[in-house]
Amino acid sequence: MTETVTPAAATSAVKARGRRVPIRRRVPTRTPHQAVRPGTRLGGPLAALPWALPAFAFVGVLLVYPFFRSVYGSFFEDNGFTSSYTGIDNYTRLADDPIFGRSLLNTLMWVAGTLLLPVLLGLLIAVATHRTRFGGAARLIIVLPFAISTAATAVLWNFMLTSDGAVNQFLRSVGLDSWAQTWLLEWPQNTLALIVASTWQATGINVVLFAIGLRAIPRDIVEAAQLDGASGWRMFRYITLPQLRAVTVVVVGMAVVNSLKAFDMIWILTKGGPSRSSETLALTMYRETFRLFHVGYGSAIALVLTVIVVVSSWAYLRHQMPDTGWAKS
Amino acid sequence: MGRVVRDLFVAGCVALWLIPLYLLIVNALTPATAYEGRPDWTFQGFDFVDNARTAWTEAGIGDSFQASLLYSVVCGLLAVLVAAMAAFAVVVLPIPRPAFWFWLIYSGTLFPLQIFLAPLFGLYADANLYDTRLGLMLVYVAWAIPFAFFLIRNQMTTMPPELTEAALIDGASFGRIFWRVHVPLMRAGLGAAFIFQFTAVWNDLLLGITLSRSADVQPVMAALTTLNNAYSSAGPPVILAGALIVSAPTLLLFLVFRGLFLRGITASAR
Repeated sequence: MTETVTPAAATSAVKARGRRVPIRRRVPTRTPHQAVRPGTRLGGPLAALPWALPAFAFVGVLLVYPFFRSVYGSFFEDNGFTSSYTGIDNYTRLADDPIFGRSLLNTLMWVAGTLLLPVLLGLLIAVATHRTRFGGAARLIIVLPFAISTAATAVLWNFMLTSDGAVNQFLRSVGLDSWAQTWLLEWPQNTLALIVASTWQATGINVVLFAIGLRAIPRDIVEAAQLDGASGWRMFRYITLPQLRAVTVVVVGMAVVNSLKAFDMIWILTKGGPSRSSETLALTMYRETFRLFHVGYGSAIALVLTVIVVVSSWAYLRHQMPDTGWAKS
Repeated sequence: MGRVVRDLFVAGCVALWLIPLYLLIVNALTPATAYEGRPDWTFQGFDFVDNARTAWTEAGIGDSFQASLLYSVVCGLLAVLVAAMAAFAVVVLPIPRPAFWFWLIYSGTLFPLQIFLAPLFGLYADANLYDTRLGLMLVYVAWAIPFAFFLIRNQMTTMPPELTEAALIDGASFGRIFWRVHVPLMRAGLGAAFIFQFTAVWNDLLLGITLSRSADVQPVMAALTTLNNAYSSAGPPVILAGALIVSAPTLLLFLVFRGLFLRGITASAR
């Protein structure tokens, strides 16, 4: 964190240079340091512990312990009453469970759909409304659903997407009868319809994030490019897009992680059905554990999901935590 | 040419975003008895109060609304306080291995809730916390701490350490430094963290349906889900009125404190 200039770190840096080990050094504008040094009159290094203890207690008991208990429980056959150790059986069963396969496929569809719709659409809307007359108002309208809970959004889209809902009514009224579908009752259009519903909610925040990135592009770069005759597509491709790289990493990372964690929308609109066809890993875990009481098997699915989430958030975490020194190295 | 395409694209998007909102309002206003089994595209009446009353009392949104308000306010405040203390310990005080503490607490936001659910359920069943308000509040605090901690810690690192040094020279204790220097200077950041966690707790569904069952304990999103399951019998006007009711607090927060509301999420992008 802020240990860059403590004496110990400084000497080790000198030593390292003596051995000619190339080290990367950040160049801070002002050197951060810990104001309170260990050994001051206010007590030793443990004086700080009481301050962190409540957080540690809450997180430790209600999040960290359950995490390890889940990992441990995934090696047991457990129906909620009796459990027996079965090793990695739960994991080998995953491989030839057709429901898990479908669930994994749906999860991939969610990730791909999220990249294609909320992220790409968010970028386009942000660019199209940047520095325009009614851009602010347009962005406000598009971010409005973000202030509504996913559950309420799902209820609204249930009303839109049921077989005699607003979408089909609209399609029939404009003469596209053949396009009207039982959106939520058949795979794959139920998963696609769910992704569209979540796009309506999730795009706004990406627009806001991209808009922040756009505003941060230095004016002189844009002006220099204009002097060189760039405009339209070339400006977008060679100036805007590269300048947005940092924001894009975060937006993509958050969007992917959120799509992996998506639960409310699917649970309310289809309950993962019909016949479990629209389940993603998040839903499959819930159903196996709390509806079918395959607790061990559910834990195995939860662990698979967790590994996928952590791996895919790695890229944006690296970006997000530049100063902890831990994620970077 | 390019400009026309751009404006048409924006106008199309705005229309696509407004139509569901418009339908939500129109149909939540339709009198429940006048609803004919298909969505209305024009105003049929202004019976929102009746629909809302039906959702509030008969569908049990009211009880859950009060419970959720309690959870969100109390857990949001508590989580922000606990997280601010932890951030203070990690950033300002000489705690050994600050990076370890940071990751220990922050890891709570990385993992999907699913990995905690089954053991939490077992833990709650053993401790008689299942289906109690206290139980839900405890887990909401724990769940809200990691991200609040992340936000507050990031802001605290931008505060010059000379402030703390000056206060130490003046003879202030850690508690005094925390309450008199850091908390007042970080009001906006703490507010943003509170709004973020209030919204997160208010919008939670998964923990609610896993750890509670009875109407006066269940959070409001769980009640809305139950109401939605009775789609054909309750009728869309009542259900949509319920959706509007449960959206009101966060929508209000958003419209009043737009900057702070978005700050929680945009802070993680910088």
